[in-house]
Amino acid sequence: MPLKQEVPWYKLAVIYQAHVRTFYDSNGDGVGDFQGLDQKLDYLKELGIDTIWLMPFFPSPLRDDGYDISDYYSVHSSYGTLEDFRTFLKSAHARQIRVIIEMVLNHTSDQHPWFQQSRSSQDNPRRDWYVWSDTDTGYSQTRIIFLDTELSNWAWDPISKSYYWHRFFSHQPDLNYDNPAVREEMWNVMKFWLEMGVDAFRLDAVPYLVEREGTNCENLPETHGIIKELRRKLDEQFPGKMLLAEANQWPVDLRPYFADGDEFHMAFHFPLMPRMFMGVKLEDRKPITEILQQTPEIPPSCQWCLFLRNHDELTLEMLTTVERSYMNDTYARDMDMRLNLGIRRRLAPLLDNDRRRIELMHGILMSLPGTPNIYYGDEIGMGDNIKLGDRNGVRTPMQWSGGWNGGFSAAEPEKLYAPLIQDPVYGYPAVNVVSQKKTEHSLLNWIARIIAVRKTTSVFGAGSIEFLYPANHRILAYVRQLENETILVVNNLSNAAQAVELDLRRYKGNILIEMFGKNIFPRVGDLPYLLTLGPYQFYWFRLRRI
Amino acid sequence: MAEVKVAEESVLTDDFLRQLINVGEVDILVGVPTHNNAKTIGAIAETIQAGILTFFPRERAAIINVDGGSRDGTPELVASAAIDDARPNAKMYTLRTFHSISTQYASSPARGTALHTIMAAAELLRAKACAVISPESTQITTDWLATLLRPVYTADFDLVLPTYSRHRFDGILLTNLLYPMTRALYGLKIREPFALDYAFSGRLGSQFLTQNAWHEETAQAGSETQLTLTAIAGEYRICQSFLGTKERAERHSADLVPAMRQTVGALFSSLETNFSLWSARTGSQPIPTTGDERKFSLEPLRINRKRLREMFSTGVAELESIFQSILSPATLAELQGIARTEDVPFRYSAELWVKTIYEFAAAYHKSVISRDHIIQALAPLFRGRALTFLAENINGSADDVENNIESLCLEFERTKPYLLEIWKQ
Repeated sequence: MPLKQEVPWYKLAVIYQAHVRTFYDSNGDGVGDFQGLDQKLDYLKELGIDTIWLMPFFPSPLRDDGYDISDYYSVHSSYGTLEDFRTFLKSAHARQIRVIIEMVLNHTSDQHPWFQQSRSSQDNPRRDWYVWSDTDTGYSQTRIIFLDTELSNWAWDPISKSYYWHRFFSHQPDLNYDNPAVREEMWNVMKFWLEMGVDAFRLDAVPYLVEREGTNCENLPETHGIIKELRRKLDEQFPGKMLLAEANQWPVDLRPYFADGDEFHMAFHFPLMPRMFMGVKLEDRKPITEILQQTPEIPPSCQWCLFLRNHDELTLEMLTTVERSYMNDTYARDMDMRLNLGIRRRLAPLLDNDRRRIELMHGILMSLPGTPNIYYGDEIGMGDNIKLGDRNGVRTPMQWSGGWNGGFSAAEPEKLYAPLIQDPVYGYPAVNVVSQKKTEHSLLNWIARIIAVRKTTSVFGAGSIEFLYPANHRILAYVRQLENETILVVNNLSNAAQAVELDLRRYKGNILIEMFGKNIFPRVGDLPYLLTLGPYQFYWFRLRRI
Repeated sequence: MAEVKVAEESVLTDDFLRQLINVGEVDILVGVPTHNNAKTIGAIAETIQAGILTFFPRERAAIINVDGGSRDGTPELVASAAIDDARPNAKMYTLRTFHSISTQYASSPARGTALHTIMAAAELLRAKACAVISPESTQITTDWLATLLRPVYTADFDLVLPTYSRHRFDGILLTNLLYPMTRALYGLKIREPFALDYAFSGRLGSQFLTQNAWHEETAQAGSETQLTLTAIAGEYRICQSFLGTKERAERHSADLVPAMRQTVGALFSSLETNFSLWSARTGSQPIPTTGDERKFSLEPLRINRKRLREMFSTGVAELESIFQSILSPATLAELQGIARTEDVPFRYSAELWVKTIYEFAAAYHKSVISRDHIIQALAPLFRGRALTFLAENINGSADDVENNIESLCLEFERTKPYLLEIWKQ
C-alpha cells in the first residue's frame, strides 16, 4: 500500500478499535460478524480511519470476551469463517486500511486442546506447555491482577491433581514460555495470520510471559528475549509488519520493550491515559506533563499508542494511592462503575457528555506524540451500561441508527449478544451514526474533521515535542516539530475562559495559522504571546515564517 | 468642568494581577504579610505548604505573600514553596499545581495594605477559605492549617480566631482591655479578638473588602480588629480554634503605643459605627471553640515593677491637662491619688480601670482632643493597670489568673451602662 515511506506507517496511523461481535450483524443472529464489519468499512474510511485493531475473534468459550482462546488458527463461528476474515482483510486493504489483530500470547483458554492434553496426564507431551506445580506457594511475590475475582495466581486442577499458574482468570492458564515448543508454536500462529495478510499484532499481556522465583514475574529479561526473537523473525520474514505491546506498566518499565528498536514497534502508554482525565478534572496540566517528563525517549522507529478509552476498564493501576482515590471519587462515585483497579465507563459518560471536554480530550489525544486509538462508538459519544457484568458495559452493540436494534442487527432484540444502550441520553434513538451524519456539527463529523486536520501533517505522528510551561497551570501548551514544520498546541484544561502568555521568542517573526479555520493570528514578537481561550478550548497553530 | 475619576487606584499591581490570573480560582488561600522576615519565613512557608498538602490535598490552593518592601529576600523564600511541573518537589507529592506568589506594595510596611491586598486577591480568586499567618508565628505546625481553615471550608464558619496557651503575663493588653471590653460590648467571649493568625470565609472577606475604609488611618492600623468587629456586627458565624503555645514575644516599651493604635484605636473606632449593635447587647455568650483548652504557663518572669510604676506616675502628672479633657474629675482624682501614694502597695483596681477605659472610649467618640493623642495618653495608665495585674497574679495559679480575668470581664459587663450614659452626654 503506498504510504509515505520516510515515516513508518504506524506512526501516522489513526487506529480504530473494534470488536467484530459488537460492530455489525450481517446475518441477523444477534452477533456481529466479519461480513458485517466488511460492510461498514466505508464508514471507517469516511471517518479517516486507516488502521483497525480487532479484538480477539478466535474460537473461544468467551468467558473473557475472546481473550480466552481455544483455537488460534480459526475464527469463532459466531463471527463467520476464515474465508470471511480473508474477504474482510482484502476489503480493508482495498480501502488503504490496515488491520491489527490480537495475539494473546500469555495464556489460552482452559478449553484449548493444548491445555486439555496438558492436564490429562503428567506424561502427556504437552504437559510442559503450561506452568504446573504441586503447591500453590511458588512465585509468591507476584501480584494478583484481577483482584475482584481471583484470590491466587495458582488454581487447583482436579484432573491432573496439581496447581497451574494463571495471571488472569483461573480459566486462562498461562503458557510455559520456557518450553521451546511453545515458543515455536506461537510463532507458527503469528506466521499463519501474517501470511494471510494481517498488518500487525497487538500482543496481549506481554510482561507476564515468563516466571522466575524471587521476582514479581513481570518484565523479566527472559520475556524480553522471547519478544526479541519474535521480532527478529518478523523483520526477516514479514518486513513492514508491526508489533504493538499491551503492557500496563510505568514508562520506565515499559521502555525496555522498545529495546534498541528491536522488540516492539509500538506500546500503549497506559499511565498517560488516566492522567489526561485527571488533568481535565483538576484543571491542571501537572499530571499530564509530569508523566510525559517521566517518559523516556524511545528509538526513532518506535511509537507510543495513545488512547482515551478501550474495551477494558479505565485502568488506575499506574496511579498513586492518592491519585487513584481522587479518580474514583470524581469519575466513579457509583461503586458499580468500579472494577478491579479501574473504572468501567465509556468516554462520553466519564466526561458528563460535555461536548467541549470530549473535543478537548480528542484534541490532546491527537496532538501528543503517539498514534491515537479511538474506541468504537466513542466517535458518536456512545454511553455505557454499568449494570452489565465485568467490562461488558462498554462492549454493547454499535449504534448505527435510531431504528430496529439501533441498526446493529435484524435479530429479535432478546437474541442480541448484549442489550443496546437505551437510556434517554445515550440510547440509540438519541446517539447514532445516521443522525450524526446528517448534522454538520455532530461529534461524528467533528471527529472526522480533527482526524483530517491531523493528517495534513506528519508532525503529530513523528515530530518532537517541547513543553511550554506558561505560568497559568490550566494551560497545557507544547510545540511539535518535524524538520521545517512547527506546530503550536495550546489546550485550556479549565471549565472557564483563560488568558495565557506564552514565551514564543524563539519563534519570533512567525505568524500563527490556526489549523482548523486556517485563520491568521498575530505575528510572534519579543513580548509574551497573549492568547485567550474559552472553556476547554484548544488551538493547533501552524507556525509559518512568511 | 470637574475632572472625571475613571478608575480607583488599585491595590493590585499589574504584575501581581498577572500572577493572580495564572493562579486562577482557588479553594484555599493563605495570606502571609511580610517585611524583612527572611530568618523565619522560609520555614513558615514550608509548613504552610506541607499543611495544605496534608489536609487539603485535592483543593486548589495558593500562598499569597504581600511584602512591605523586604530587602532580605523574603518574597523569594515564600515563592520557593511553589510546586509545579516546571519546579517539581521531590519531597512533597502534589496532586495539582501549588502556587506561592508574592507581591510588594510601594508604601512602607502597613498591615492594612497587606490585608487589603490579601482580601482583594482572595475575592478575585474566589477563595472559599482564606487564612492569614503572621511571619512571626514560628511556632506554626502543619496542624494549624487544618485548625484554622477546616471550620471555614467544611463547617461554614466565617471567621476562625485563634486561642493559645500563653504565659500568664503575656498579652496583658489583651487580657485587661481588648478581650474584656470586646466581650462586654459585643456580647461574645472571643479570647483573641485581634489575632494575627486567623481564617475567614470568602463571603466575609468580600463584605469586609467593600465595607472597610481602607484609606483611613484607623483602618490601616487595625484592619484585623476591624475584620473581627465586622464579623460580629454582621452576625457572621465565628469560632475559635486552639493553636498551641504562643511564645512570649519580646516587647519594648516603645512598641506599646503602635500596638494600642492598632487594637484599642480600632476597638474605640468601631463603637461609633456599631452603636446600635453594642448598645443593645447585655451579658456575653460563649462561641464555638475547637481544640484543647487555653492554658496559662507559669514560668517565673522578671518584671521591673519600679519602672512601670514610674511610667504610670510620670504619665499621670505630665498628661494632667490631657486627662482633664478625657476623664471625669472623679476618675482623674482617683488616678492622681494612686500616682501620689508611694508608700502603700500600688493598686489600680478593676473598677477604676474599667471606668477609665469607658471614659477614654467616650472621649474618643467625642474627639475631645486628637484621637491619636487619646490613645497615646492611655499608654501610661495601661502600664499602671499592668503593674496591678502582675502584682495580683505573681503567685497565682493558672486558675487564679483565669478567675481574675473573668472578674475583670464581668466588671466591664457590669459597668457597661456607665459607658452608655457618658456616650451621649
